[in-house]
Amino acid sequence: MDERSDPIRNEDAPDELQARRETMFMIPAAPAIWAAHFLASYVTAAIWCAKIAGRDGSLEGARWLLAGYTGVALVAIAMIGVRGFRHHSYGDATAPHDFDTAADRHRFLGFSTFLLAALSFVAVIFVAMVVVFTETCR
Amino acid sequence: MASQTEDSIATLLGETSVLVPAGRSAERIADLSWWLFGSATLIWFVVLGLSVYAAYVRPGAHDVARVRLMIVGGGAVLPTILLGGVLAYSLWLMPQVKPPIPEGAVEIEVEGLRWWWRVRYASEEGGATEVANELALPVGRPAVLRLTSPDVIHSFWVPALAGKTDMIPGRETIIVLEPTRTGVFRGACAEYCGTSHALMNFAVLVLEPDAYEGWLARQGAPAQEPEGPLEARGAAVFREYGCGACHAIRGTQANGVVGPDLTHVGSRRTLGAGALPNTPEDYVDWIARTHEVKPDANMPPFGMLPDDDLAALAAYLDGLT
Amino acid sequence: MNARAKLLDWARTRPGESVKAAQERRLSKAWETPKGWRYWSAVNNTEVGLWYTICAFVFFLFAGVLALIMRAQLAVPDNDLVTADQYNQIFTLHGSVMMFLFGVPSFEAFSILVLPQMLGARDLPFPRLSAFGFWCFLIGGVFVCGSLFFGIAPKGGWFMYPPLTTEYQDGYGADIWLLGLSFIEIASIAAAVELIVGALKTRPPGMRINLMPLYAWYVLVVAGMILFAFPPLIAGDLLFEMQRAFDWPFFDPDRGGDPLLWQHLFWIFGHPEVYIIFLPAIALVATMIPTFAGRPLVGYSWVVLAAVGTGFISFGLWVHHMYATGLPNVSLGFFSAASVSVAIPTGVQIFCFIATMLVGRATTNVPLLYVSGAFAVFVLGGLTGVMVALVPFDLQVHDTYFIVAHLHYVLVGGVVFPILGAIHYFFPLVNGKSLSPRLGTIAFWLAFVGFNLAFWPMHISGLRGMPRRVFTYEAGMGLELLNMISTIGAFTLAAGLAVFLWDVVRPKSRQPLSPRNPWNAGTIEWAAKIPPEPWGARTIPAVSSRYPLWDQENFLDDYDHGRFYLPDAEEVKRETIITTVIDAVPIQCLRVPGPTWLTLIAAAGAGGLFVLATFKLYVLALLCGAIGFATILIWLWTGTALEPEKEEKDIGLGVTVPLYASGPASVGWWAMFITMIGDATAFAGLVFGYYFFWTVHPQFPPAGADGPGTFWPLVSLGLLALAWAATLAARGLIRREHRGGGIAALALGALSTIAGVAALAAGPWLTGMDPTVHAYEATVWVLVLWTGIHGAIGLVMQLYCIARAAAGRLTARRDIDIANVALYWHFMLATIAVTVATIAGFPLLS
Repeated sequence: MDERSDPIRNEDAPDELQARRETMFMIPAAPAIWAAHFLASYVTAAIWCAKIAGRDGSLEGARWLLAGYTGVALVAIAMIGVRGFRHHSYGDATAPHDFDTAADRHRFLGFSTFLLAALSFVAVIFVAMVVVFTETCR
Repeated sequence: MASQTEDSIATLLGETSVLVPAGRSAERIADLSWWLFGSATLIWFVVLGLSVYAAYVRPGAHDVARVRLMIVGGGAVLPTILLGGVLAYSLWLMPQVKPPIPEGAVEIEVEGLRWWWRVRYASEEGGATEVANELALPVGRPAVLRLTSPDVIHSFWVPALAGKTDMIPGRETIIVLEPTRTGVFRGACAEYCGTSHALMNFAVLVLEPDAYEGWLARQGAPAQEPEGPLEARGAAVFREYGCGACHAIRGTQANGVVGPDLTHVGSRRTLGAGALPNTPEDYVDWIARTHEVKPDANMPPFGMLPDDDLAALAAYLDGLT
Repeated sequence: MNARAKLLDWARTRPGESVKAAQERRLSKAWETPKGWRYWSAVNNTEVGLWYTICAFVFFLFAGVLALIMRAQLAVPDNDLVTADQYNQIFTLHGSVMMFLFGVPSFEAFSILVLPQMLGARDLPFPRLSAFGFWCFLIGGVFVCGSLFFGIAPKGGWFMYPPLTTEYQDGYGADIWLLGLSFIEIASIAAAVELIVGALKTRPPGMRINLMPLYAWYVLVVAGMILFAFPPLIAGDLLFEMQRAFDWPFFDPDRGGDPLLWQHLFWIFGHPEVYIIFLPAIALVATMIPTFAGRPLVGYSWVVLAAVGTGFISFGLWVHHMYATGLPNVSLGFFSAASVSVAIPTGVQIFCFIATMLVGRATTNVPLLYVSGAFAVFVLGGLTGVMVALVPFDLQVHDTYFIVAHLHYVLVGGVVFPILGAIHYFFPLVNGKSLSPRLGTIAFWLAFVGFNLAFWPMHISGLRGMPRRVFTYEAGMGLELLNMISTIGAFTLAAGLAVFLWDVVRPKSRQPLSPRNPWNAGTIEWAAKIPPEPWGARTIPAVSSRYPLWDQENFLDDYDHGRFYLPDAEEVKRETIITTVIDAVPIQCLRVPGPTWLTLIAAAGAGGLFVLATFKLYVLALLCGAIGFATILIWLWTGTALEPEKEEKDIGLGVTVPLYASGPASVGWWAMFITMIGDATAFAGLVFGYYFFWTVHPQFPPAGADGPGTFWPLVSLGLLALAWAATLAARGLIRREHRGGGIAALALGALSTIAGVAALAAGPWLTGMDPTVHAYEATVWVLVLWTGIHGAIGLVMQLYCIARAAAGRLTARRDIDIANVALYWHFMLATIAVTVATIAGFPLLS
């Protein structure tokens, strides 16, 4: 019988995965870091320009802060991505991770986490590009 | 309403295309626009060609592994590079499009009101020259416009010169214009501001420096005395009906500040912020049928005036060049 | 081979037909749709979903007619077909209706209708909540649309910017918009809660998270977005209505307010809104494409990435509607960066769809035609979307017809065309008849050509300087021909939609029934019999593939013979299976309630509250509100946390699960948790207002302003923390069968809640803060008001639990009420803590 057509195939799950109570929290983790970075950058710049530098003031100090945020965010996202990729390559199966098994569910969650980490990584870099090109609060 | 003759409102208000720029900021944006339009057209044809090919020409003939590569390459990597590039380009443009406030610029205050524009040129002696629904700029010299609104949100937009900037009650916003060629350019309110939002336009005259100084001097001068008996009668009507409570005509007792300054209204290209051209008949239309011309305008219609008085008033105002 | 497979094999050897007939009789009885006038008391998803969908489309047609009036007005320059005032009402309603009464509801309506079928569930977990939401939607929608016929429709644009709408537009228009649509927003959030719980908890056994239909993934993402996007608008609506009705100056710059606060709150909602409307349509495409290709979608994980990624990033775009407001370049840059990055996931989705067609054997049919048309239109809209994401370009085209063109390319291409295709595709599931391919093709070409004729020229109109929302334009600007073409195109598009509509409503009694699964799709909704049965799923299947109809051998036969789970309704009760979130292991057999009038009465009461408040008839409004509130209490008392007649039930294939669950295992707990997330988001919107004022004012709180002090706020914090602790203690006592102790703890909690709310109000009251003086006072009061109302709700919950415990319905084993109330109180504690920290703590720092 073709593997795919077995109605309730449920074997290859190793005990460690079967028992593991996995959650979905890894999936939104990387975009949540993007959101935190985005918000922190926006709030920092807004407060800097409204309260510290003034309307036409220099952005200098805020730029260093934002560079720091970006470094932290990128490292955190990269760690999540690596972890996701490790889950994705669990065992020797390849995508599309569409078997009704704990192992494939594990790989799928890992792969989605990895892809979202990649997207979030790029999105954080895009946000960081702004302070490269902007020098004042105008 | 306006007939499509040589001096239609559209002609009077001037050029209005984003893609035929006459100012530094608008020029940079037009360059960017052409790049965007070109690459978007190309991408659209490629993506659409690919999907028609996939759905109707040769479906099913392709290897999954290779197609996955296409998702990674065409769907993710390539767009990321292109988008990163275009974002960098636009961020690099920002300081040119919304530049810092330059030294030695012409300083102008513009107030957006429902539904007209109050424009004040600070003069060196400390006073200000007030005009309405029209402004002049010297070519080749930056101008800083300080934008405010006492009532609702408006948006100041002269497509040929620059992008738009909102005018927000309680705030002052700034736009820097730097015209690069002479001409007449249309301005409009771009933020919906109530009933007659569509009828809140103005003309920007970009002049050679000498001509600009002459214009400013003329606008700063007090109003002309009425030329003939009809005009004098008009001036009397203006006084009798209390027009001066809302409108100022410098050099006369009329000193109202609610409505537009009319000292040189006859010199303006249009009436009612681009609602009508500027001929004596248009004054009659405006004064007697204000709300047909411009719904909900703050000025009450004076349709009860006898025709003679209206004609005299129109002649007087038309003569205030 | 595992135990489940063995049992299934054994079941196949059993004689089937007589058992099957008896099962189907009982199922029919349990799920019978009420007849006659009682039909309108139905709550089943097949009825409510259908009404909801039809209503959303009626509103769509209404808003479409408004669009035609606008196009007729703009056909020639200086036209006077409608007055400026009428035009402004019409464009305001066109936008508002399309966004609030068609865009979001059509997704929720359609999902209520098909999500359970896609998951092989018999119904969503809270059918009465769906029905309540529908009736709210209908009442609010009719109210808002009807205002046009009395000439009092809102005319501030769908974005309602103050101060135009707060100070310069008298009459009821703005209030109708605010209250009518707030009411609908609440219904939308209710549906979102329902759909999230549905997608997470009512999946069939075996449908692990990696096998979930992509449609369900999108439902999850979109409903989650609604949960975070709508509450800020509700917060904004609250501020707005407080200003209009009671002169609290949130947006009045003369008294410390700021019109931009509204723009922030509105667009924090408004931009995600666009994706909330757009993603479900993409979900339909993701559902249909594999069927056309005859193979699984290529890049399932990539599409999940795209859906989740878009959901997140879309919250970082809101300022891209505010590029011209004079914010610093650096702020604009952040939003531009996010606006650009959101294009990446969108591109990924398109390429996944193309890839699937490339490897599959495509059959060409009418839905595919609509999807192809959607691609052509949407890709262009997406490309202009990238353009307007760039600040310099947007500064020119913002608020011009270029944007009108862009947004219609996105929304018609990305939403309307896929929906039309989906209607064609899913129609046999509604009444067993197919739509005509010939009429469908004619309708498509008319709509497609008409659409492009109407909207493509608008790009050029905008670049030639035509602003949006103008009731007229003058001759000689080079706009005459462009506008005439647009008008001709709009009427051609309308003709296409008319043909489509005729195809839907034309009598089909002589037309033969569609075959079962006419498109040869692979997903479970197509296992339905033609014509469909009221019970939905014949049996809740054991799933082991993303496309069970293609991959699972003998699936339809097993399904028809009820060899999977819950094939019967032995007790003639409506039942469906609740499973775990990640791996879909069955954990409960949920009894769902049947027909009732309570939902309709409750919606009418709530509707009366909002409608009458609009006309400032506050006494009658409160009366209606009280009726609605009482009805909801009756509904809760009689229709929730039902006592099952036994503890467990055998649901087939050797699985026995409990009939009662509480805490995180129950759907009610999840619904409470998700609702409170949305509620907390609205609260965050109000708190944002406070700190926003701090950034715009040189000094905030303003010099000389009396704050609420620290004493009373701290007393309130202490008392409400005590109420929280007492509620938790009550939960513990009740679980340990100390009924008396539980009631006593709850009574203590109730008393300290009352005292706590009073103490909270005492702060600003005793220092004489007048909310009409300055935005500072108003903001403090609105935080107090919000927290006070939540305290009052918490009090009602405590009293409800006392009554339930006294009536013997809340016991150690039946503790769902107190479990959910305790969860509410966790959020309540956070709310009071943040409120006190803000109103009493922050002034000490600044």
